[in-house]
Amino acid sequence: MKINRIYAIVLRFLFLFRHSFDRLTDVFYWPTIDLFIWGLTGLYFQKFAPNASSIMMVIISGILFWLVAWRGQYEITVNLLEDLWNKNLINIFVSPLKFSEWIISFLIIGLIKAIMSLAFASVIAFFLYKFRILIFGFYLIPFFLLLIMMGWWIGFFVAGLILRFGTRVQTLAWVTIAIVSPFSAIYYPLSILPGWAQVIAKFVPSSYIFEGIRQVIKTGHVSPDKLLASFGLSCIYLALSLLFIRNSFRKVLQKGLVKVY
Amino acid sequence: MAVLQVKNLTKKFGSFTAVDNISFELKEGEILGLLGPNGAGKTTTIQMLLGVLTPTKGEIYYFGKDLTSNREEILEKVNFSSTYTQLPWILTVKENLTYISYLYQISNRQNRIKKIINNFRLEKLIDQRMNELSSGQLTRVNLAKSFINFPKVLLLDEPTASLDPEVANYIRSFLLEERKKFHVSIILTSHNMSEVEEVCDRVIFIDKGKLLANDTPDNLAKTIEISHVELLIKDGLKRTIEYCQRNKITCKLEGRYIIVDLKEREIPQFLRNIMDIGVFYDEISIEKPTLEDYFLAMVKKNNHL
Repeated sequence: MKINRIYAIVLRFLFLFRHSFDRLTDVFYWPTIDLFIWGLTGLYFQKFAPNASSIMMVIISGILFWLVAWRGQYEITVNLLEDLWNKNLINIFVSPLKFSEWIISFLIIGLIKAIMSLAFASVIAFFLYKFRILIFGFYLIPFFLLLIMMGWWIGFFVAGLILRFGTRVQTLAWVTIAIVSPFSAIYYPLSILPGWAQVIAKFVPSSYIFEGIRQVIKTGHVSPDKLLASFGLSCIYLALSLLFIRNSFRKVLQKGLVKVY
Repeated sequence: MAVLQVKNLTKKFGSFTAVDNISFELKEGEILGLLGPNGAGKTTTIQMLLGVLTPTKGEIYYFGKDLTSNREEILEKVNFSSTYTQLPWILTVKENLTYISYLYQISNRQNRIKKIINNFRLEKLIDQRMNELSSGQLTRVNLAKSFINFPKVLLLDEPTASLDPEVANYIRSFLLEERKKFHVSIILTSHNMSEVEEVCDRVIFIDKGKLLANDTPDNLAKTIEISHVELLIKDGLKRTIEYCQRNKITCKLEGRYIIVDLKEREIPQFLRNIMDIGVFYDEISIEKPTLEDYFLAMVKKNNHL
């Protein structure tokens, strides 16, 4: 594994980030809009339940932490699409770049953007609603890592599908994580979900995290079993997703990288 | 010494055989032309040589090492340029060359980028985005990219397509110079036959996935017996045409000129015969068969025309 090659791909996407209004919008504009709309909605609801001061906390933390999973997934799939749209995949793979280095560079760029996005949105949340993300203390780290892991495995599954079927399935890059969001119980407790949905939610790692986030808001602590369950599931899914994308890449090499579009 | 050896390379897509059991070598410092009509299997072959398409059968060795098991080490010394691939269009020329340079182990990276920019006359374009460049400028950037890692083997797919004649000529000279200075070995595909004749030491001709010929451009051209005799007829143009038609000789008219296709040994007799029927000509030129004639003959023979 060579650091220079991983750096090359990260650099390529950082250059893109600098120039692309779309990518800047993703990181800064949408989180701000979400915070405005849902934050104000939260303030409105709080007027009807003045004793339930945690409503705002739940909503804002839901917005902020969901950003992490979203960015992790988005950076993998949309950056792959960028290379397909630009017919650039062949330029990358005629170099000594290894498949594993390519994958790692996606993880790094996802991590960088997620940190950037979360930091920016946290500052906005503080100025608008006096919301302090640091109230989660040490738990910030496991919450962040477990959510980005979820973004990664969803991203790799979708990227595997895009490699196999080309840009005709590109819409999956934007919609897939939204399918998981109702089962993640971002803004409501799991118990609100219908029975069948609760069963599905048990297999969604983020549902444990958002339950944990609400637990921290309420009690200041989170049960370790929630973090472990989320971690265990994410490890399994991440391993499977990596096998899937590896296999998809091998299949692509059978028909030629130039033909993926 | 062969820097590239291809043995029994085959690629099948389902029941269709795109490349059929081809074998050839590329020697150090050699420029090899890869010719064939559209769909012959050239691009498929190049993709397999670059490791971005898995062969169905066969072996590829660079510098005596198998490509599959030494991919990383080999691709450090190989590069590729094609007019049919693009670099990220929103990035500037310099950004593209910079990120690509990091894909390779290059000492003194900044100097190398500067040198490449200079070699390919890109100084005025470095801060322009790819989507602001003309197709000729894009070709130059693609070529610059392919030289960034001091390649020992270069695969160039139509390297001078969309370049104006002056720049195309400069690029051809540059390729020859690089070969001379650094013994770079090059495989080149082109539809410009005079370019292939000018720069290639050897040519392989592929059609329907099969390797049909492997020789120098001169030797391949020599396999075509027909020369073109061009005459400026002073008197007797009609008689000349009738003579050709009677004797089943291919001819075509271009203004006052008539171009007659003849085997070299038949030319003196032809000239005597038309003089006997009262034909007078002011000018005569005889064009020997070229690589283009060979290409056209092969394409015709294989029912592409």
